[in-house]
Formats: sequence, structure tokens, C-alpha cells
Amino acid sequence: MMNIPCPFCGPRNESEFSFGGPLKPDRPDPNATDDEQWVGWLTEVPNPHGPVQEKWWHVKGCGTWFTIWRDTRSHDIVEGPLDAG
Amino acid sequence: MPYEATFDRLATQALFDLKGPARQLRDWVGELLPEFPEQANSGTMTGGKALYYIGLDHWLLRAELPEEQALIAELRPADAPPDISIVQISDTQAYFRITGSQADEVLAIGCPMNLHAREFGTGAASFTEFFGLRALVTRCDSGFDVAVEQSFGPMIEDYLNRALR
Amino acid sequence: MQVNRLSHGGRINRARALSFTFNGRKYQGFEGDTLASALIANGVSLTARSFKYHRPRGIVGAGVEEPSTLVELMGNDASANRPVTTVPLKEGLIAKSVNCWPSPAVDIGAVNQLFARFIPAGFYYKTFKWPNWHVYEPSIRKATGLAGTPQEAPDQGHFEARYAHCDVLIAGAGPAGLLAALTVGRAGLRVMIADEGTEAGGSLLSRKLVIDGQPAMDWVAATVAELHDMPNVKHLQNATIWAYREHNYLMVNERAPENASLLERHWRVRAGHVITATGAIERGMVFGNNDRPGVMLASAVQTYVNRYGARPGKRAMIFTNNNSAYAVAADLAAAGIEIVAIVDSRDDVPEVARAVVPDLEVVAGSVVTQAQGLRRVRGVSVVPRSGGVSRTYSCDLLAHSGGWNPAVHLFSQSRSPLIYAEGPATFVPDTPAQSVSACGAAEGQFELSAALHSGAETAAELCEGPALTPPEGEDLAYAIEPLWRVEQATGKAFLDLQNDVSVDDVHLAIREGYANVEHVKRYTTGGMGIDQGKTGNINIIGTVALHQGIGMDEVGTTTFRAPYTPVSFGAIGGFRDESVVLPYRHTPLTKWNMDQGAFMYEAGARWRRPGYFPHPGEGLQEATNRECEAVRNGVGVYDGSPLGTFELKGRDVGKFLDYLYTNIMSSLKPGFGRYGLMLSDDGLILDDGVCLRLDEHRWIISTSTGHADAMNSHMEELLQTEFPDWNVFVTTVTSQWNNATICGPKARDVMVELGTDIDLSPEAFPFMTFRDGHVAGLPARVVRVSFTGELSFEVNVAPRHLRALWDKVLDAGSPHGILPVGSEASHVLRVEKGFLSLGHEVDGTVDPFDLGMGWVMSKKKADYLGKRSVHLRRDGPGVRRELVGVIPDPDRMIPEGAPLTPRGEKRPTEGFVTACVWSVVHKRWVGLALLENGHARHGETAQVRLKGGELIPVRVTPPVHYDPDGEKLRT
Repeated sequence: MMNIPCPFCGPRNESEFSFGGPLKPDRPDPNATDDEQWVGWLTEVPNPHGPVQEKWWHVKGCGTWFTIWRDTRSHDIVEGPLDAG
Repeated sequence: MPYEATFDRLATQALFDLKGPARQLRDWVGELLPEFPEQANSGTMTGGKALYYIGLDHWLLRAELPEEQALIAELRPADAPPDISIVQISDTQAYFRITGSQADEVLAIGCPMNLHAREFGTGAASFTEFFGLRALVTRCDSGFDVAVEQSFGPMIEDYLNRALR
Repeated sequence: MQVNRLSHGGRINRARALSFTFNGRKYQGFEGDTLASALIANGVSLTARSFKYHRPRGIVGAGVEEPSTLVELMGNDASANRPVTTVPLKEGLIAKSVNCWPSPAVDIGAVNQLFARFIPAGFYYKTFKWPNWHVYEPSIRKATGLAGTPQEAPDQGHFEARYAHCDVLIAGAGPAGLLAALTVGRAGLRVMIADEGTEAGGSLLSRKLVIDGQPAMDWVAATVAELHDMPNVKHLQNATIWAYREHNYLMVNERAPENASLLERHWRVRAGHVITATGAIERGMVFGNNDRPGVMLASAVQTYVNRYGARPGKRAMIFTNNNSAYAVAADLAAAGIEIVAIVDSRDDVPEVARAVVPDLEVVAGSVVTQAQGLRRVRGVSVVPRSGGVSRTYSCDLLAHSGGWNPAVHLFSQSRSPLIYAEGPATFVPDTPAQSVSACGAAEGQFELSAALHSGAETAAELCEGPALTPPEGEDLAYAIEPLWRVEQATGKAFLDLQNDVSVDDVHLAIREGYANVEHVKRYTTGGMGIDQGKTGNINIIGTVALHQGIGMDEVGTTTFRAPYTPVSFGAIGGFRDESVVLPYRHTPLTKWNMDQGAFMYEAGARWRRPGYFPHPGEGLQEATNRECEAVRNGVGVYDGSPLGTFELKGRDVGKFLDYLYTNIMSSLKPGFGRYGLMLSDDGLILDDGVCLRLDEHRWIISTSTGHADAMNSHMEELLQTEFPDWNVFVTTVTSQWNNATICGPKARDVMVELGTDIDLSPEAFPFMTFRDGHVAGLPARVVRVSFTGELSFEVNVAPRHLRALWDKVLDAGSPHGILPVGSEASHVLRVEKGFLSLGHEVDGTVDPFDLGMGWVMSKKKADYLGKRSVHLRRDGPGVRRELVGVIPDPDRMIPEGAPLTPRGEKRPTEGFVTACVWSVVHKRWVGLALLENGHARHGETAQVRLKGGELIPVRVTPPVHYDPDGEKLRT
């Protein structure tokens, strides 16, 4: 059970949050990309053995969506949101 | 008694969800409301009305139910400019008041947030978790008020009864 | 008779006798006893049978390290697999050994001993592999397994699970832990100290030591009293910290909470810093038959004599490789137990050790090769390590010590590594991976003074100011020469008593290629289960090192796992002990529904809803038919409150909804509503629902009940992460607007009867519009949508008014025979009408075209969620499964989900039946199905193929079985 730094509320129990998956690159313009690029963007999700930037939603708290850098080997949060309380 | 604490289910509270920048909200509601709190997850109170700062550009106004119609008339939710949002949500929350010298111990059965006075002191108000549900916890005089989504009210009542067995 | 109870001494209350039952026989012990010490006092030495071979076993340890005797507690204490040494004695306790039947003395499974040489490590894996292990698993588990699950919940008391926070969590209230607590407590930090014992003191409870010139327990009492007076310190006894998770989150199992109505309490603690002052666990010596009853850890023997006034034997031999057993010998001798001799594997026994027992015979440079006796040790064989003649000593107790291992379990669970230390010959904590430190014996400081110093210094690092000056403790200096196993051993020499793992098993594992210590563990099961390597691990590592000729550090340790000791599942669950693990949601009508005798169940997002309202003697089908007929021919009323509802506000709501839905919403005029579909960006259907436009900037959207939370997440994620500049606010109002949906050809009559200021005529108030006004005197928003295909008025009011509205609707409708409608009837009506249900027709593969809803996919909008992916998929070569109606012929019910196969052959399916209901309109069974190329196959006959090959021919039709032109819902 991680202790996740919410930018508005400060550190809170992981159970207050909902996991939003690793941060993907920006959505490409669907009318200006070929099929391969589009499918690549849809299906290829960062999955490093190490730090990954991922999205979390403070669903039971203030409702903020934010990102953290979490080390998938240790659960260490190596970088929180910029303005985490 | 296992815990030095008791609980009551409160009557429906008049509640309004306020979103938008504090300045625009203040411009619209004028002198009607308490001061907008600046500290995240805290509240201010005047004249029986409490204003909680519970999210980025997000506030909750709470008063007793008889104030509801007057507040609607003054807040004019339907006429508010698009930069702010005012929504009546009185019925969405079931309110419980848990009081007594061990109210914090009872709360800790269901709430993972640090409730120690050093972290969550007088005037504190925050959405957190209570028995797995989203819940608004505020400090009151001799304990805590906890609000959960109204449809979960009967179950929370059951859980509190179990906790205080 | 407590034949082995000493006449005085110990921390027991001889004035309070307690009766208990063990394996069916009655005994007496004293307050302050554990079940183990009471059994020893009663002279019960054969207490268990071993896990695999069913060898006779006794009590080996005195605390959580006990590897041998596990018991099952009965009655209100019902609990399985408890080490006998960790069960506090209480009046009326009923316990039995777990791994023997009918008793340890007459154990049917003991026949396994005869075959022991045929049951080596890996035996089960190698032998029971055809056709697969699972065929054999149940009976093998029964034969070798541990205790069963208690069949009944305790009839008194309940469990509780709770959260806690502290600055410093201290594991262990021995000398180091107590001094650490005192240090951080005095500094004003919020401290929690949890200790697994019934009282504080740790090793001091078992030893006769002096602190600052006073009995050590006096210092413990004074310290505990000071901690008790500190409001910032929480001190728990009978509380084991059994798991150390990420981000300094730890689990504590408290077994005797102050609150008398609590059986046990589970603490989930978030700690700023953790100090593990968990002490050390003695390891045994590894020699032949080292598992015989009466062969015990030296420290355990010392505990029974000093703490419990119980004598585990009358004639004791001591076998050691270190100094600590000499203090044990001295305490035993002082209690009147005859010490035959001390066998020490070291050639040079330190003078400080000999000085403790100047009158006893010390056989230096020698080892015990074998324990003699079967159900009780009768003697030991001793040989010099340099070779020579074996000599036999007669005894009824062998107290052995192979050295001490810091209890590093918690430290290791924190992912912090261990390092081998040559001096104490064991693994000690290395660099912390989280905010954790170790002190005292848990750090490898085995002498009292060193432990006290380490407790004070470790804690001082967390506070400002200088460390406390620790009190002076006097202790025998610790020195050891490691001996991982006795090479000259004869007979089975066990490394892990709990899992019956011997030296031969480890050698076999290595020979068969399982040389890595993690593989050795899995192959032999050494260190697994409840034991978690408490007594045996280091000897296993030593045995591997010796066999491979490498260093201990090269072998390394296995990973210690939670739980450190057995934990009741009940405690972890807390008081959510009944069928409802997660709360049900109620509408204001739940009580009314139940009073009517409605059959209630969960129907999406934990809402507890009425399935149907049976009259006396009716079943589901009869009641459902009656409710459906009311709606089709007269009028019904449905509680639609749980529908997900959101108010959206802002300049960019239209733009946002155009992105969210496949059709255009921004063109909607105030007062009007529009049905739409939402897709995810991979082109699959996420949800459907209706948008209402209140005014220029305010909208209401509804989502399916079960997807309300997901849609909230989806909208907030898009607005906060993709379009932070868009002016859109989302507010959940599901429980601000409850509704009674009045549906059926007589719905308008009921509305008139209720009284309303809204013009109800179809011209003034057409389908897919809404009006704000009053109904039956209550402020209401009435929406003309329909999920039944009939004329419907969805009357939305604040929940506080729903019950009043409901009563008035039933009154107004009674002349028309109005009935309340449950979820079952609602399902039938929507299937007749061919309306979608997420989870039925929308199964995570279909797109809008498959459902015959291509019209909902806007061609005008350049981009919206899912557009690109839907077209990409449809441009591919795959055959699509498309929504059709199915009419079974002959007329019969088809189970939901039944597959359709080409011509009914035993081939891959070409679709499945998504729903099948008894149609009150057609008086026959009708269904919906997803079928390959279904749209082109109307009129054909397809085949449902049931399990076993039974076929049901079905006629393929359009999916709308009722009022295909939608005239009724528009009336």
C-alpha cells in the first residue's frame, strides 16, 4: 500500500487513488497519422523495469489527476508532482 | 462501552458545490459567504455557514437545511457565469457526527488518513476514504463529521454500529 | 499433576490454577503459563507428529520460533496452526495437535517413518506427476497438511481492522526496543511500540540479568510505566508486526486488545521510521535424530525454568558451539536440574564461559552425533571432532545451541539486504532500503550492554540532542565458532523441523541441480510455511556453503516473507465478517421495496435493487410476466434513481461532448435531449446515455448505472490532462436527482391524476425533451425518455421527496392497475424492444455498426474518441458479429450466452445469444444474439449448440421484436 503524494492533499494512502496507467505520448492527430502509427500509439504502453511516469487520480480525495515517477522495481516514488504538498 | 464515542446521523445538510477560481466565485456571491479559505483541505465559518476548500478551484458550502432556499435565491446557480459552477448537492451526502474522546479511534477503523491534530487540526476538512467509500471528513467541536454518498448512508450506519459494539 | 512444576520462581501465579484440555485429556496450569509451559509442567513430552514423516515430536522452542508443535484451538478460540508456545493459557482452553490422528501417541500416519528413505526432497513432485499433480494434491495435502479452517465463527466477540500513523514504529519491547522507545518518546515524537509477548521485556523475561545493579525486570517495569504516561506513545503487547510493506506500511496483529469485545485487532500502520528491535532467535545444532522429544533449544529450556517455573527434564545434557548455553547451564543447575555435561564443539572454550559453571564437566572439542530414544530422548552419543571413541551419556533432556540469528525478518521484508558477519557467524542487517533501522540483538548485538547502547543510539538519530546515557547491563560475553552441521551425525539430521528437511535432502537438491539457495528452498521446502526460516535457515545456508565449498555470503539468504507468524484471517478482514464485504447502496425506496416482499439483489455499482415483486406463491417468471403486462397494457412505475447523472457547466461543454460522444451534441437546443454512444479511443463502446441541455452553458448527462464511476474518471481525466484549457466543470448529481419512471400506455393519465403545471400533450412535450415544473406539488424535472418502448415520463425529484412521490404515483395509478416494476421486467421489456444493455449486447468487441447503429457515428465531425479505430477495424478483413433477434423454434428458453455454431456443428462459434426472455407481447420466447454477418441473415435459421451437443434452431430476425417504428414511445 503506497503513500502517494497528491499535489493538493499531500501524501495519502494508495487506496484513495485510482491508477491511470503509464503516461503515453500525446495523442497524435488521427487524421494525420498512418495506421501503423495510430495502432502503435494505442497499444504500446511504457513498461520499463525502473522509473516510469504514470497517472493517478485522487478519486476518493480532491479529484486531481496528476503524474508521479514510480520505480517499478521498488515502488519508490522517485519524483512526485511538481507542487506536491 | 468499548469505545468512548457515539454517533448520530445528521439531518440533510444544505450543500452547494462551487467550482471555479476563488476570485470569480467571490465576485458572484459577494459578501454572502465566509472568507474563502486559502489553506488546502480547510474550512472557514461564519453565521452558520461553512466553506471548505476541498480541491483545486473546488469549494463546498454547507449550512443547515432551512437555509437552502435562501441560499439558492442568493447564489442563483442557473444564472452564474460560465467561469464558475454552482450546483445544489444537498441530497447527495449522508452526514454522520462521531463524537467522544475516542472519536478518532473509531474513525481510524475506516479512514486511512492521518487524523492526528498535528496533521488534521481545528478547521480541517478533506475528502478521504471511509470504509472504502469516498467521504468528506471535517473536524467538529468534539469529534468529526463524516459525509458519504447518500445511497451508502444505511450501510455506514450499520458499520458504525458494528464499530461501536 | 504438574509433576514438572518447580516449587517456586517464574512469572506465573500459582494461586490461580487454570484447567485446559489437550488432545482430549484434561490438565491444569497456572495463570501466566503458555500452553507449552503448562504441558511441560505436566510432563507431556510427546506433543506432535512431524509434517512429512510423522516422527514423534515434542516442544522445541519457547516462543514464535517453535518449529515442532503446532496446535489447533477449538471453540470460541477457534484458530489453526498456532505454535503451542504462542498460546497464552486460559481457563477452559481446548487444543489439539494438528498433524496427527487420532493423537501423537497413536498416529496412523506414523507408518510413513518406515518409508522415510523413499520420501526424499522432491518426492511428491517426481512421483505424482501423471496425469498431473492436482489429481493427487487433495489427499496428499490431507496426509501431510496442517490444521483445517475453523468451521464456525466465534460466537462471542468480533475482529477489528484499523489504520494508524506514527513517527516511529518500534518492533519489540526487549531492552533495545524499550530504550529506543524511551528515547524517541521523551523527544516528543509519536511512537508506537508493539511486542509479540504477553508482557514487555523480551529476552530479559527468560534470563537472570541485572541492569544498573537491580534485577533487569525492575528496569523494564519502570520503563514501561514511564512510556505509559507519555500521551505520544502507544504501547501494545500481544501484538506482532508481521508484515513490512512498501512505503513503510506495516501490519500488526494484536491478539488481546483492551476492548473486551474484540477477539483480535489488525493494525495497518504508516510509520515515518521503523526500528526493528526484534531480538534474536537461537538456531539448533544439526545432529542425528535432533528432533526427538526432549531435544530442545537451550534458550527455550532456560525460559521454561526461569519464566514459567517448569522443568523440561531432570537430567540435562548441553550441546553448544557458543557461550550463551553456559548461562543456561548455570540457571538450570540453580533450579536443581542435574547437568550431566556440557558438550562444546570448540577446542578452546573461553574462560568467561567456564567461569559461569566452574563445577560442571565440559567436554570440549566434541560433538553430539545422535540422540537416542524414540518418544523421548534417553541419551546422547558424543565423539571428539578429531576422531575417537563414541561415548554415551544418559539424559532425559538435551539443551542445544548452535548460535544466534538476529530476527531479520521484518528488516528483510522491507527489501533491505542482509550481510554475513564473521564475528557473530550470522547474517545481520545491511543498508536500509526504506526508512528503517535495526538495533539490539536484531542488529547482531547479542550482549545486554551492547543491545542497550544500540537501542539508545539508533533512536537518538531520529531526534535532536544527545543520546540518552543507557543503563549498565551485565552479561556474559558472546563468542562462537560456527558449526552448521555435525559431520559425524548418524541418523536423520534435521535442518528444518517444521518441514522435515534434513541435511540429506539439501545434498540431494544440490546434486539434482538445485544449487541456488532459492532453488534449495523450493525443492526441499526448507524455511517455507509458518516457519519462515526462524530456526533452520542459517544452518541450511551453512550446509549449502559447506557442500559447495563457498562462503556464506556467496550463498546468501532467501527472501523472508510475510507473515512473520501465523495471523488469523478474521483479524485481517476486520468486522466486515458477514456476506457484505463492500457496502450496498440504497435508494430512498429500499425499505419500501423490502416491505413489499420484493426479491432484492445487487444490480450494478453495488446498488441493491428489487428484481421483482412476487405475490404469494409466485416465482420469478410469474411475477415478471405480471409486471411486464402492466407496462405493455396499462402502466408501471420503475425506480430509476441509480442511473449515473452528471451536471456539466461551461462554455466548452458542447465541444467536449462532441469529442466524447460519437454523434453531435453541441447542436442540441435547450429543453431537448439526445441519445448517444461513447467510445474509447480503441473503438470499443464505453457507455450509452442521454444528454439534456438545460441552457446555454449547463447540461445534464446520464450514464449507465454500472459505469457512472468509470465515466466520471474518464471525463475528469480528459478535462484535466488533455484539455486543461477547456471551460468545463463536471459535478456528480446521481444522488441529487432520484426518479420514478412512469411507463405504459396509461402513463399520461397517471401524470394528469398526479397534478402538474407541465403541459403534457405530445405536441407541447414531445419525446426526447424535458420540462422543469411541479408534479404532485413537488419540484420536479420530467424527462421524456423510454427504456421500455412505451410512453414514459421520468419524474426526477430530490431524494428527500422520492418516497412521497412514489406513494402519490401508486395512488394516482391504482385505478389503472399500476404495478411497481423490478429489474427483471425491465430486462424483458428492453429485450423485446431491442434496446442495448452493456454487458449483454455490448461485450467489449462490438462497434456501433455491428449493433445497427451506424447512424450514431457522425460523418461531419473530423475527430472524436474512437472514430479512427472503428473505421480502421472495419476496413480490415475480419468478419463482424452483428446484432440480430432470434426466435427459438421450437419455442423454448435459451440460456444466456449459449453459442451459435455454423449449422450446429462442433466447430468454432459464429456468435452467441446475448439475452432470451419470455415475451408478454408475443407469448413466446424471444432473444437477441450477436451473429457473424447477422444483418444479412434475417430470415435464415441458425443453430444454438448447447453443452453436450443439443441443438436449438433459431430464426434470425431484426433485433426489435416490438413496435419497430417506435410509435408507442412517441405517443
